[in-house]
Amino acid sequence: MARIVGIDLGTTNSLVAYFDPQTGKPKCIEGPHGSTLCPSVVSLDADGTVVVGEPAQKRLLTQPERSIYSVKRLMGRGVKDIQEELKLFPFRLDPSSANVIRVRLGDKVFTPPEISAFILRELKNWAEAFFGEAVDRAVVTVPAYFNDAQRQATKDAGKIAGLEVLRLVNEPTAAALAYGLHEQRRGKVAVYDLGGGTFDISVLKLISTAEGDIYQVLSTNGDTHLGGDDIDNLFMPHLEQEIVDFHEFDVAKHPRLRQELRKAFIEAKHKLSREDDAVLSLPLPEGARHPVHRTGLSRAAFEEIIFPVVDRTMGPVKLALADAKLAPEEIDEVVLVGGTTRTPLIRRTVQQFFGRPPHTELNPDEVVALGAAVQANILDRGVSNMLLLDVTPLSLGIETYGGAVAKIIPRNSTIPASAQELYTTGVDNQTGIDIHVLQGERELARDCRSLARFTLKVPPAPAGLPRIEVKFLIDANGILQVAAKDVRTGEQHFIEVQPSYGILDSEIERMLEESIEYAEQDFAERQAIEARTEAESILVATSKAQAQPQAAALSGEERAKIDSAVAALKESIAGSDYKLMRKRIDGLNQATQHLAEVMMNSAVNTVLQGKKLADF
Amino acid sequence: MTTAPSATPTSDCFAVFGLPRKLWIEMSVLEQKFLQLSWKLHPDNFVNAPEGERELSLKRSSELNDAYRILRDPVGRVEYLLQIEGERKEGEKKQQAPPELLEEVFELNESLDELRDAKSSGGDLGQLKARLRSAENNFQEKLAEVDAQLQSVARDWDAALEANATGEARKKLMARMNELLNRRSYIRNLVANVAKELAEV
Repeated sequence: MARIVGIDLGTTNSLVAYFDPQTGKPKCIEGPHGSTLCPSVVSLDADGTVVVGEPAQKRLLTQPERSIYSVKRLMGRGVKDIQEELKLFPFRLDPSSANVIRVRLGDKVFTPPEISAFILRELKNWAEAFFGEAVDRAVVTVPAYFNDAQRQATKDAGKIAGLEVLRLVNEPTAAALAYGLHEQRRGKVAVYDLGGGTFDISVLKLISTAEGDIYQVLSTNGDTHLGGDDIDNLFMPHLEQEIVDFHEFDVAKHPRLRQELRKAFIEAKHKLSREDDAVLSLPLPEGARHPVHRTGLSRAAFEEIIFPVVDRTMGPVKLALADAKLAPEEIDEVVLVGGTTRTPLIRRTVQQFFGRPPHTELNPDEVVALGAAVQANILDRGVSNMLLLDVTPLSLGIETYGGAVAKIIPRNSTIPASAQELYTTGVDNQTGIDIHVLQGERELARDCRSLARFTLKVPPAPAGLPRIEVKFLIDANGILQVAAKDVRTGEQHFIEVQPSYGILDSEIERMLEESIEYAEQDFAERQAIEARTEAESILVATSKAQAQPQAAALSGEERAKIDSAVAALKESIAGSDYKLMRKRIDGLNQATQHLAEVMMNSAVNTVLQGKKLADF
Repeated sequence: MTTAPSATPTSDCFAVFGLPRKLWIEMSVLEQKFLQLSWKLHPDNFVNAPEGERELSLKRSSELNDAYRILRDPVGRVEYLLQIEGERKEGEKKQQAPPELLEEVFELNESLDELRDAKSSGGDLGQLKARLRSAENNFQEKLAEVDAQLQSVARDWDAALEANATGEARKKLMARMNELLNRRSYIRNLVANVAKELAEV
């Protein structure tokens, strides 16, 4: 069976990695642009072509209304959840958005899982190009603090991209796997993971047993809407105001310039991780008082402004330690993950809190993907010498009388985890029992995340007689499954769970089909590129051969035939129809057959008959 | 090749670990057994296995994790034992104060009322807060007492099991545990309420 890859589907960047059995180590795969990072940006060209990664990032500046970034922030969320995001990110919601968001790219409308699927498909292509064979199974990482809907949305994205997601692994856990393998450490480890859009803290215990190493997650906490993006958003209004003040120019009214300003700020931000000062400069169009806006930023001033963001991460850190029943000094190792942890203020804050310098040996951008590849290897081998025991980040509950929530699986339970509840009827001949499943730590249903609502069908009977046992199970991916059984008859009930914030299976089917259409477009593009390359080498070889003295042996008619075939091929490669290019390549090969023949000496001529000119 | 997890039905959390229904459990032994069983049952080992085995692994490993979670918690363990023995009765008395606590609960509620009044009228909170803190401490001590009593009955329970005690003797012990659990949950709610009120000041 084809190998399983590990994918880090990030807010800012995504990566794909594999486990190399030769070296016994995971490794990230480079894309066509020579980088292992695929910017999580998707753009839809006017001709309907989907562009992903670096080229899409460029289009973010040239055609922002057809491009989208940070789509991870929308995964598994409804319109009501993202009102804050809408103020800060240029998401163009379609009016049809409700519990499932739909965003516009140009004149088309996509759900967040469909956009994420474009990114996954791109990474799948990278891996397929690298291995030279199809890749259709993957381990995909998610923030540890992702809820059921966000996890389901990620799994859906995999399906739409034509990937079977064998396991969703929590990002900090994946990082710990990569680090454990790298450092061979034992003891209690805290993983602090601050990425572009999410923050996670996980506390793990690394245990050596006779069978192998166990990575047991003790607790996890986080904020799925806290990351480097938030730092950018802290500065953007300030920078925009500065430009209004100095240049009487409102960048906010120009989406393209706004993106450029953001890009310039991000560059300055990165520089401040290495140096004490950075200068941000932004060329301004006509109409502004000056042609360029230039502003200096010191690390001290930067740190003062970002302090609230860093401080917000410490609440979850303390909660995770409390749940693991550990004090900061009981942690043996601290690991930093995510590009945002390059910020010196974060390193200092974490070091101060735990009283020890954090590990930063592995590339914080790659470590999650590397860990996903380690997990992929574990799954592929069936029984391995490594075992990962993860937890569910949020308590699972059901709504009871008066809108209260009864917790049935507490947060930080090792998964898979389950709970059984027994239900009966309150009135005679009641035919249905409504069940509302929630996730969260709050006491009232309205403050928790609604996962699903469904009605248990009950045969008519006197009140209190029916006994239906409902089993709630959180699987190893952190995703909920529900099954019901009639206790008296032993009969299994089929429950159709309507996810509160998810996409229906039937819709996923349709999206998969559509995505294959896009994939065929990709396929067509790749074919065109290959055909063009081949055509160019044939054209070079033909003109070379025509210049040789032996070419004089050709008749005028033959020469005219070759010239017209050359012209036809040149015309076709200017377009994008790869089938036409192939046809014209064949045409030229045919036309040059005699030329090829005369190019050989008579001895080999007979042996190599039928060979094409380009083969020499 | 992986071996299919055995399909023998597991009746309860104690049985998952092959333990008798005793309330004293050596934690390090439980942890070791948990890890050993995890190696055998975890779904990660069955990704390439037939669907039937995959489902069984999911079922058995979730039962293992549930059992470990329940047995690790000394109070949860008692509650669970009573449940499977059919002796856990939260009853109608759940909201009522245990008789011996009546007086103190009455005083506490008075202090809480005063605190709320003072909060809305902007009165002096310092003294009230101090009084509530001391009441909170008092109830925390009572909680520790209940826990100690619960531990003592748990030892009696284990001894009764070993001595093959009569069903009646066991029922009596369980009734006592049930009563202690109810008192415990009452006091805990009380403490949580006080802590909440104090935090809001």
